[in-house]
Amino acid sequence: MTSPSEAAPTGSEPTTLEPVKAEGGDGQGTADHIGKSPGQLMWQRFKRDRAGVISAYVVGFFVLIAICAPLISKLYGKSPYTLYNSATGKPELFDPLGYPVKPNGGISGEFWFGLEPILGRDVFTLLIYSIRTSLAIAVAVTILTVGIGVLLGVAAGFTGGRTDTLIGRFTDLMLAFPSQLFFVAFMPVITTIFVAPEDATPTWLRVAVLIGVLAALGWMRMARIVRGVALAMREREFVEAAKVSGASNWRIIRKEMLPNLVTPILVQGTFELPLVVTSAAGLSFLGVGLVNPTPDWGLMFSRAADVSETVPTFMFFPGIAMVIFVVAFNLLGDSVRDAFDPKAAR
Amino acid sequence: MLRFLIRRTIGALIILLILSAVCFFLFFAIPRDPARISCGEKCTPENLELIRRSLGLDDPVPVQYWNFLSGIFTGRSYPTGDCPAPCLGRSFVHDENVLSLIQDRFPTTLSLTIGAAVVFLVFGIGAGMIAAWRRGTPVDKFVSGSSLVIGSLQIYFIGPLVLWALVYSTGIFSDPKYNPFTENPWQWAVGLILPWMVLATIFGSNYTRMVRSTMIEQLQEEHVRTAKAKGMSGPTVFFRYAWRGALIPVVTIFGIDLGTLLGGAIITEFTFSLPGLGNLSIASVFKADLPVLMGVLLFSSTMIILMNVLVDAAYAFIDPRVRLS
Repeated sequence: MTSPSEAAPTGSEPTTLEPVKAEGGDGQGTADHIGKSPGQLMWQRFKRDRAGVISAYVVGFFVLIAICAPLISKLYGKSPYTLYNSATGKPELFDPLGYPVKPNGGISGEFWFGLEPILGRDVFTLLIYSIRTSLAIAVAVTILTVGIGVLLGVAAGFTGGRTDTLIGRFTDLMLAFPSQLFFVAFMPVITTIFVAPEDATPTWLRVAVLIGVLAALGWMRMARIVRGVALAMREREFVEAAKVSGASNWRIIRKEMLPNLVTPILVQGTFELPLVVTSAAGLSFLGVGLVNPTPDWGLMFSRAADVSETVPTFMFFPGIAMVIFVVAFNLLGDSVRDAFDPKAAR
Repeated sequence: MLRFLIRRTIGALIILLILSAVCFFLFFAIPRDPARISCGEKCTPENLELIRRSLGLDDPVPVQYWNFLSGIFTGRSYPTGDCPAPCLGRSFVHDENVLSLIQDRFPTTLSLTIGAAVVFLVFGIGAGMIAAWRRGTPVDKFVSGSSLVIGSLQIYFIGPLVLWALVYSTGIFSDPKYNPFTENPWQWAVGLILPWMVLATIFGSNYTRMVRSTMIEQLQEEHVRTAKAKGMSGPTVFFRYAWRGALIPVVTIFGIDLGTLLGGAIITEFTFSLPGLGNLSIASVFKADLPVLMGVLLFSSTMIILMNVLVDAAYAFIDPRVRLS
């Protein structure tokens, strides 16, 4: 078999990582490597990677937009909840079918990215708020998957034996689920646990169920990677030394293992986050995720598909933003991985 | 080999059993009132009663699950009609057996999968090989760069984009449509060409990146170097020696992709309104047709697990070093 870390430049296939090299850049030691921690070495290598640095800025830009969305829309003077197609808005900008009158989806000095057909929201604020929603959901899901993955991965890798087999089998079982179909089928079912069929589902509940369902079927890769690292570390001298000196298991996991797990988790997390964003958007696109008027990336695509025949301009704003977002995250993931494990560099 | 297959089949059946139990429990035990959900907006008490009886909801959940399982082997009879073995349940929305619904929709999904697989294997692997062959040249850089960008595209973006560019505004293609292959192979291919292209773009770039990196790695292996040193021609070394070693990861990913696609390419089918399994499951979600969802989930999982077993068996044929243990 080939080393999977070479074969997997994006996170779309399972990425396994080499166990943490506590000695960092060992084996390629030039003089300036002496006396630096693995973290410092990693940072040094990362800074030299131009594609990585640029993609880090792009990712930072998206995060900044997401965090500052209310501020930006305040400066811009519009809100993503204003329906300009209503009587109180600017109905003169729309034709009777709800499409913007002006060409290119109603782009003008006032509405930079145009107006959304049907509901008539401002596309610019809609997009930045959509990014905000999607990123918030993705961060929550990633944190949950990291939590579950680390818990099960460390439990399997550190204890080994029967626990390891059991957790391994469970992971395999979960991987046999057709994940997209599972998301689609269970989103409504899970929602009905909390809401009677006659009642409307509150938005916060939709978001919570979406996060829960995505996390429930998203932790397996993380768990496998953490297990691999934990298993390799169990045999390492510093863990054995801690054991001999009488440290408790809990202390070994907390003080010896977790610090070494940070990097593989970081790398895997960078690959997973865009996957979460795209699958959550896919669910909203299919109509089982969030619903209007919540600003959401997937809902923008759904509207774009509905009106692509008449207002094609609309699809480009969410579409191009998402391409840049995913490419930047994948490049960043590659660079972080290469910086952390130079041997995996292609 | 036979022992391996038997062992893997038993393992697969156990996984399927657990999986179906989990799904069944989630569908029929967790919701407060499955019959009420399935009944929809305009629910009459008679309908509610009918659904309740046809789902057998008055029985305890384990009994319901047992009835479901035994129905697969012996068939069942419902108040609305009979369901011969193998019976995966009966849809009261369609008033039809789940299995015949799946049989009805599967040809579309199968056609979509086969066509897309041919396109993405040929172009994906081809591009990867060219990039590896011309490693470091502008050709390689172009292929690697574009596969990164293409791999980041989403079907729900390029699907509508392609529809707009090639169907609505220019009319080069007609709206994608499924025509049975047996009736008219030409119409079949023409109707599905756009979905094939879109699916292949998304999936193909993955193969390009993988083939490129494994080929580069393989070309540096010792057996390849030996073959070169013995004076074998470039193409022979490339295809006979290096390619064979690069095939294993391709087979692995191809098995996963095929299993996933055969269970229904949901977003593609939805975007192009193709009547496949994916669209069936989406429609069933909105109509809360739980028996159909249960059936499709079971069918899709079977496809994924089946492909896993086939991939493992294929290793032994490709790589003599892999022993089935």
